[in-house]
Amino acid sequence: MNSSTSSSRKIYGKILLGVGLTMAGAWSVLMMVADIVGANAEGVMGRVVQARRALPQIVSEDKKQVMVFGSSMVDAGFSPRLFDAQVKAQGKDIKSYNFGFGGLNPYFQDYLSRRIREAYQGEDKRLKLAIIEFNPFQTTQTRWNRANSMVDSFLTMLASNAELLAVTKGDLNRAMLLFNIKYVRNDISSQMVTTFMGRGIFPAERVKRERDDEAMVKRRRELGKQANELYAADFPDLVRRQWSLPLQGGRTIPQDRSAKSLEVYAEYIKTQQTAAQMTNFRNRRIRTADVLGLNFEPLLVESFIRIVENFKQFSDKVEVVMLPRNTDWINYSPEAQARLNSAIAQIEKGTGLSIRNHQNLEQINPQMFRDATHLARYQGDIVYTQFLVEQYIGDL
Amino acid sequence: MIFNTPIFFWFFALFLLCYGFVFLRQTPRVYLIVAASLVFYGAWNYKFIPLLVGSGVADYFIALAIFKATEKSHKKRWLWLSVTINLGILGLFKYADFVLVSVAEFLLVFGYQASLPTLSWVLPVGISFYTFQSLSYTIDVYRGDMKPRKGLVEFVAALSFFPQLVAGPILRAKHILPQMHAIALPTWHSAKYGFLLITVGLLKKTGADLLAIPAQTAFYAHDTLSTLELWTGVLAFTGQIYGDFSGYSDMAIGIAMLLGFNIPLNFRVPYFALSPVDFWRRWHISLSSWLKDYLYISLGGNRNNNRTRNVFITMLLGGLWHGAAWTFIAWGAFHGLIITATHYLAGFECFKGFNASNSRWIKLFKWAVTFYLIMIGWVLFRAENMTAAMGMLANMHMVDWAVELGHNALTIFAFVSGWVLLVHLMDYYVIKRGDKLVDKPWRFWLLMIVAQSICLMIGEPSDEFIYFQF
Repeated sequence: MNSSTSSSRKIYGKILLGVGLTMAGAWSVLMMVADIVGANAEGVMGRVVQARRALPQIVSEDKKQVMVFGSSMVDAGFSPRLFDAQVKAQGKDIKSYNFGFGGLNPYFQDYLSRRIREAYQGEDKRLKLAIIEFNPFQTTQTRWNRANSMVDSFLTMLASNAELLAVTKGDLNRAMLLFNIKYVRNDISSQMVTTFMGRGIFPAERVKRERDDEAMVKRRRELGKQANELYAADFPDLVRRQWSLPLQGGRTIPQDRSAKSLEVYAEYIKTQQTAAQMTNFRNRRIRTADVLGLNFEPLLVESFIRIVENFKQFSDKVEVVMLPRNTDWINYSPEAQARLNSAIAQIEKGTGLSIRNHQNLEQINPQMFRDATHLARYQGDIVYTQFLVEQYIGDL
Repeated sequence: MIFNTPIFFWFFALFLLCYGFVFLRQTPRVYLIVAASLVFYGAWNYKFIPLLVGSGVADYFIALAIFKATEKSHKKRWLWLSVTINLGILGLFKYADFVLVSVAEFLLVFGYQASLPTLSWVLPVGISFYTFQSLSYTIDVYRGDMKPRKGLVEFVAALSFFPQLVAGPILRAKHILPQMHAIALPTWHSAKYGFLLITVGLLKKTGADLLAIPAQTAFYAHDTLSTLELWTGVLAFTGQIYGDFSGYSDMAIGIAMLLGFNIPLNFRVPYFALSPVDFWRRWHISLSSWLKDYLYISLGGNRNNNRTRNVFITMLLGGLWHGAAWTFIAWGAFHGLIITATHYLAGFECFKGFNASNSRWIKLFKWAVTFYLIMIGWVLFRAENMTAAMGMLANMHMVDWAVELGHNALTIFAFVSGWVLLVHLMDYYVIKRGDKLVDKPWRFWLLMIVAQSICLMIGEPSDEFIYFQF
């Protein structure tokens, strides 16, 4: 080895060490900050992560199983424990689960449904009944466009390595990016961080909010605070919004709560149902999901069809439903209705199943919603769960 | 393959391992540089590799022919062949469609409906950079400024040197070829300085991508924005293009330094310029000096009272170099105009004192006027077309009180202007004190970790570098 050879190795060794240590330091700072602000898989889609974590236990359950799968509307509108109790009262022993998740669209749900399928097929188990929600406004172009900054992160959280490679379609650059996010960045893309941080500085659009009078605002705030305190007292160990196995993914039911809690919560819901609040809720949905225009994104409609196909592979029966609609606040234009009909026809053709339209149920009235789209707890969810029992008891 | 992507990180790490530990002698290292550069270039579109290598090989042999030719006319003929090949490639790929479409539109003005075929060819990445670099070699040999180098592989390695291949700085053959002939080992000091430049470049690119958001809003929806938001958007683009391009240049120079090469700085805090002439001494220095040495001087320079004409033509063609669109021509013409106006005004007795003044207020005034003119220029540069540019300029200068100020408009303005200033202060510090900073280990490495962690946190390779399209 001559001197130039050893000098080269010495200097490049130093360079690689210096750069490597710097990058390791920077990576540690990134991980630390991400952990502090909750920018990790658990923080971003905690409910999904927790549900996935519970899958082995769910699958090992001996009882016949029902799974209701869909959006935050399922999360709010279906109560598994009430469902089980009512079914049991009719002499059938089953266990149901709420797999409703906010913030996902059918593209991501497709990957989640594959993981559920793998869990069931891995143990050679089947669902007795799978109820899958088709949510029109979750399937719009607006919804898809707004998810842009999340795609990479969500994909790395939900897709397998083989699926990630398939998504990149031979694009080495994108493949490296996705695997880097998955294995180096703890599933958090910098685009997601930028979006979250930039949201405050660069709002996507101007938002004009309706305001209630001061007295109403004050009362809502007080009741909200009181409801939170009572919830904490009733459930000291239960973190809200998390997917809980004892609760079967559902929310609390009236039997869990004190009379005072129920009274305060009912009052609180009333303060949310003012014209100003409901207008704000509706406007937000128009802005973020095109809830009235319903311009569908073909990719999401195709993804939805794949979800149904995934469930068919490990379910005795699959039903596709549309959950109740707040008819006071969400009304489609004739053009939107025509687009919805066309999407429904495409899904029915693609899956071979008829979609059960529960959007205009007689049992459900607008006062049973906590906002423009979600059923209220201890009210709408009870009625809708009861309705599902009546509809599907024969299949169980 | 973009510098701020994971794929480049791993590519470069692998390259550095081979370069520093395996390929230790001169010739293998040159071959390694050629191979890595072709992989780097081929990552965009491998079909254009023959074009890159072919034009280089042609210029290599033409330079030898120029040197061997004894007659001046023969030398000239060879030079013209080189000019025709390089500008022909550039013209075909970059300008042919623009010319054909413009001719058809021009004929339409006189009522002739001409249906001219267009080529619709993909523009090879970095074509404007490497053709100019290659051309400078034959011109230098023709002028007798340098002798042709022997060693085709070395020449191809210099031409395709991956750190600066796709977006400059445009290297002169007389600068890079001797370095490629005897590749030096970097010192620990220069390696740290190179890493500093890479980090600063990454940070600038990260900021530039953030500024892209308000800039895009302003250029796409200028009719709906208030005057403050419009100016914020233009300021954001002013910062974006600087961060994007100078960031790339810094990274290129830094990477080259790690490999033992020395590439001169391409930017010297250009938005601190006190006149349009001063701006072009600080902005994209490798292009402005190329245009000066090979175009302006060839046109006659300051001689024969043709300075105004020559400046204007140089700037016009400089604008056209950036892209085949009327907006770029207008941008070049605008800069030609303000530079000639500066020269013209400088001739007046009353302005001589003004120019020589050291008063802080006069300097501030000169800076403000220059910065305003630069921003106006960027509107022409960035707008979709001339109609949009004119509309935007009109909206910027006519305050419409009816348009409501957007949510957070002042915060965004503060963020944008703060970032543009911060980046310039950072650059100023690196130029003035960077050399000393790298010798203070604790401060240096700590700053590197902080800067790299900011880039890791928010640096998304969402936008390609703007100058790739040129």
